[in-house]
Amino acid sequence: MAVRSLTWAAHIFILVVLIVLAGTASAQAQNNDRSTVYLARSGNTALDQHIQTLLEKSLGSERDLIVISDEQAALTENAPIVTIGPGAFSRVRQANRNAPILALMVEKDFLEGFARRSQGRISGIYHGVPLIRQALIGKAILPQATRIALIATTSTAELYDTLIGQLSEYNLEARLFVVNDDKQLIPTLIRALSYGDFLLAAPDNAIYNPRTIKHILLTAYRRNRIVIGPSQAYVKAGSLASGYAPFPVMAEIAANYLQVFFEIGHFPEADYTGIFRVEINQQVARSLNIPLAPPEKIIQTVEQRLESREGQTDE
Amino acid sequence: MSVLFSSTIAEVAAQPLLDEPEQIGFYGFNDEIPEVLTTTRLRQPKTRVPGTTTVIDGEMIRDLGIMSLVEVFRLVPGMVVAEVGSSTPVTTYHGTVHYEQRRMQVLVDGRTAHRATLSDMDWQTMPVPMEIIERIEVSRGPNSAAYGINAFLGTINIITRNPADTSGAEVRVIRGTRNYTRTFASVGDVNESYDWRLAYEKRKFGGFDYQIEDDERTPFNDGHDINTFNYDSRLKVNSRFNADIRVGVVDGVNEEDRYKNGELGATGDPNIDVRDYYLQTQLNFTTSQSHFFHFQVSFENYDRRQRWPISIPESAVDCLANDVLVFHRPNQSLCFQPGGTPLTAEVNADSEDSRLEFELQDTFLFSDDLKLVTGLGFRKDTYRSETFFNGRGNNYQSRVFGNIEYTPITWLTLNGGGNWERTTTTDEGYFSPRVAANFRLGNNHALRFVYSKAVRTPDGFEQNPDYGFTLKNVSPGKYSAYEGYRVESTAIWNNPNLVTLGRDLEEERIISREISYFGLFPLKNSQISLEVRVFKDKLRDMISGVIKFDDWSIDNNVDIDQKGFEVEAALEYPGTTIRASYGYLDQDDWYNGAQIYYDDGSINNHEKQYNVELLGRLSAMHSGSLALIQNLPFGLKGSTAYYWADRFRNSRFERIDFRLAKRIFQPRYSAEVALTVQHYINDEPDISTDNNIEDQNQLFLEAGIRF
Repeated sequence: MAVRSLTWAAHIFILVVLIVLAGTASAQAQNNDRSTVYLARSGNTALDQHIQTLLEKSLGSERDLIVISDEQAALTENAPIVTIGPGAFSRVRQANRNAPILALMVEKDFLEGFARRSQGRISGIYHGVPLIRQALIGKAILPQATRIALIATTSTAELYDTLIGQLSEYNLEARLFVVNDDKQLIPTLIRALSYGDFLLAAPDNAIYNPRTIKHILLTAYRRNRIVIGPSQAYVKAGSLASGYAPFPVMAEIAANYLQVFFEIGHFPEADYTGIFRVEINQQVARSLNIPLAPPEKIIQTVEQRLESREGQTDE
Repeated sequence: MSVLFSSTIAEVAAQPLLDEPEQIGFYGFNDEIPEVLTTTRLRQPKTRVPGTTTVIDGEMIRDLGIMSLVEVFRLVPGMVVAEVGSSTPVTTYHGTVHYEQRRMQVLVDGRTAHRATLSDMDWQTMPVPMEIIERIEVSRGPNSAAYGINAFLGTINIITRNPADTSGAEVRVIRGTRNYTRTFASVGDVNESYDWRLAYEKRKFGGFDYQIEDDERTPFNDGHDINTFNYDSRLKVNSRFNADIRVGVVDGVNEEDRYKNGELGATGDPNIDVRDYYLQTQLNFTTSQSHFFHFQVSFENYDRRQRWPISIPESAVDCLANDVLVFHRPNQSLCFQPGGTPLTAEVNADSEDSRLEFELQDTFLFSDDLKLVTGLGFRKDTYRSETFFNGRGNNYQSRVFGNIEYTPITWLTLNGGGNWERTTTTDEGYFSPRVAANFRLGNNHALRFVYSKAVRTPDGFEQNPDYGFTLKNVSPGKYSAYEGYRVESTAIWNNPNLVTLGRDLEEERIISREISYFGLFPLKNSQISLEVRVFKDKLRDMISGVIKFDDWSIDNNVDIDQKGFEVEAALEYPGTTIRASYGYLDQDDWYNGAQIYYDDGSINNHEKQYNVELLGRLSAMHSGSLALIQNLPFGLKGSTAYYWADRFRNSRFERIDFRLAKRIFQPRYSAEVALTVQHYINDEPDISTDNNIEDQNQLFLEAGIRF
């Protein structure tokens, strides 16, 4: 008789456990679908860890940020994947054509095409700042400047299209000098520097990369010309200044984008962060006898110029 | 069904994570972006330079339509430019004498550029085409600690473009009035380990239009036709070592006029055939971020052939034969009688001098606030001239120098330097110190106090001449005994009483005190920079007098006190640049040498005064420039520059230049055409009544293309 009741209790126990497990499992399954964000890393450990921490902070406790490898990306179904860098984006895309991806640390020209074709599913926070801001940073540092020199290859020339159209509203003009092959870079640079009051560099790897940057910065410096851009990383090399989007701001906005995704099922349009800062190479500025206002003042000047122009178009 | 993944969140390390991402790798993932503009490559900001320096960019030289190298110096406050003799250009800071201006140190890429033994500066034959000048730095005031003795009144440092910056090809042609021609071409390339550039320039000019000889307008043979070739290269061995190799040749003719420069009754123009060359190499070592040094070797050879025919009247030959001073005034009627058979011959003023120079300079940055520069230098000057030295000889100079720069507090930088040098022209050693204090008032303003001492030692020719012309190809036959005969200066003195030949010359000394201010004023839409220099200098034992074949009266006999102030300002608006410079020089000078007597024993105050005046020939009280460069519509760029100096002897120099240029930018090349007009505002000749230009408007047309 006792054995019989024991068996009964055991059945009930197992049943309860199963129900609980099932409940948890389904709860978990629900949790997985609702609040997990996957992260595909770039491989640059310091960068990845920094962004990861900031994202976690911004996402808060209701969301889980889980790192995945490229192969694991194939199995994520509808959960959003945040990618760091163009490499991670490409690999994840290849592994899973349908996954919703929020790309970080990518340039506009890289992501634009994807974002347009898969609106809502593919989005991103562009790295860096819009070129018009870089141009206005240059103008804030050299108020007497009116001409901007631009260099590109035939295939990257379109990077500057929007900028060239916008400049006339700010009393600036630019000229694009096209480089067709490696050998032509320095002669073209020399001609560009004799035209422009400063050189504005977009993130164009064909022209501005660790191999060429030395020649470019030295030649410009010897001719008393400053270089603005291509990105914050190059300021330490010798570019006079570059705008950049602070990482915490980028993480905040990424979290917002993810929030929107979870609420309505697709991402907002890819864009730059609205807020930016300026990195300046003080040593180079001093050596060229350029008086520098503090970075905050420079940003203020740029914002003012942008606003006053917007005010004009409203009228 | 979702699959559970293990979280790697726990792996997040204990690395300090900051909101400021400076210390984190960025966009160039896994790529190393090199640090290019390091402390060792950057020029000192003007607020930190321990002295007043004027920097003129290569771009400005072109934008203002400056047509010859020496004219650039009209833009430097306190400097003047003039022509002496047969259109020989001369330029100096703070005046003094006009002939043989030898009180400034001139360097081209660190290589001494004045003649070796006749420390004269030959601007016409400078092996530097203006198109390859990156910038010219003029250090105003004595600075032997940095540049050696002879950086007496100041130093001019011409820096040419790095071959890495001129890859591609460029051609430029300029034609102007008075037979002005300048043709420039350069080609160069850059690759991983070797950068090079080859440049050629021809510069031709007719000089002044006429001189006055016996109250008549006479053609002036004072032009030049010079070709220069320059090869500059850099061998980049690795990040710690590279070598600059430079070679150059100058070949051409510098026309001299028989009335100006023809000694001994010249019957033809004593034109100078120039054939100079130089070789230079500088080995640059960077052992670390805070230590680098260079070793420089250069050799320059100046080969001048100057020959002309002469005709000596028979009576003069008789005087020579009888030891009668031929050019002495009382003897004039005796020695210069008409009639008889003149002796014709050929004489020469050939000279070949060379300079071999070594320099080792070491820079050590102990910290951001403490920097030490030290160095050694050695120089051997060799002269060969039958006429000036009756043979050959050598002079040696050796020096040790150092400078320490210390910033004890952020707003104060102290500089202390010295140069210890020994030269065989005086067989003595000299110590020239320099101390400076820079007070930085905010980021953009500095106030400097500078005290420096320097010496200028007499050059080989001043100290040990043996001046005489050897007669060659003598005719007719009755004078054959004179073939190879050397007519010495001692045989023909103009004023034997005033002759100082044989006296041991000593060094000239300068003590300079300066207070200067530099400031940058950033405005909403523009930027203003301003530099003011106030100075008070004592120049002692200056060598004045005449250096001529028939008149040798130089001696350490004049003392000068100079004081004044200089201003340099620039205002940059969008599309407009205005630059102004002004110098005020108040010179007090007096005779302080040995007593000079007339033949009859009475004191010759006239001659004493003349010696004093000679050292004021270029000491214009007011000088300056005003330049405007303006971007114009339709791709045009206009500029105008006004230059003046008041006064040189009896004349005031005033000129206004205009230039209009059109730039064309095409995908594969850039081109430029320009018109320059130089308008001489008054028609008085400067310095000498022989320096005459017929047309007050001089025109120049230029066209250039760069690939």
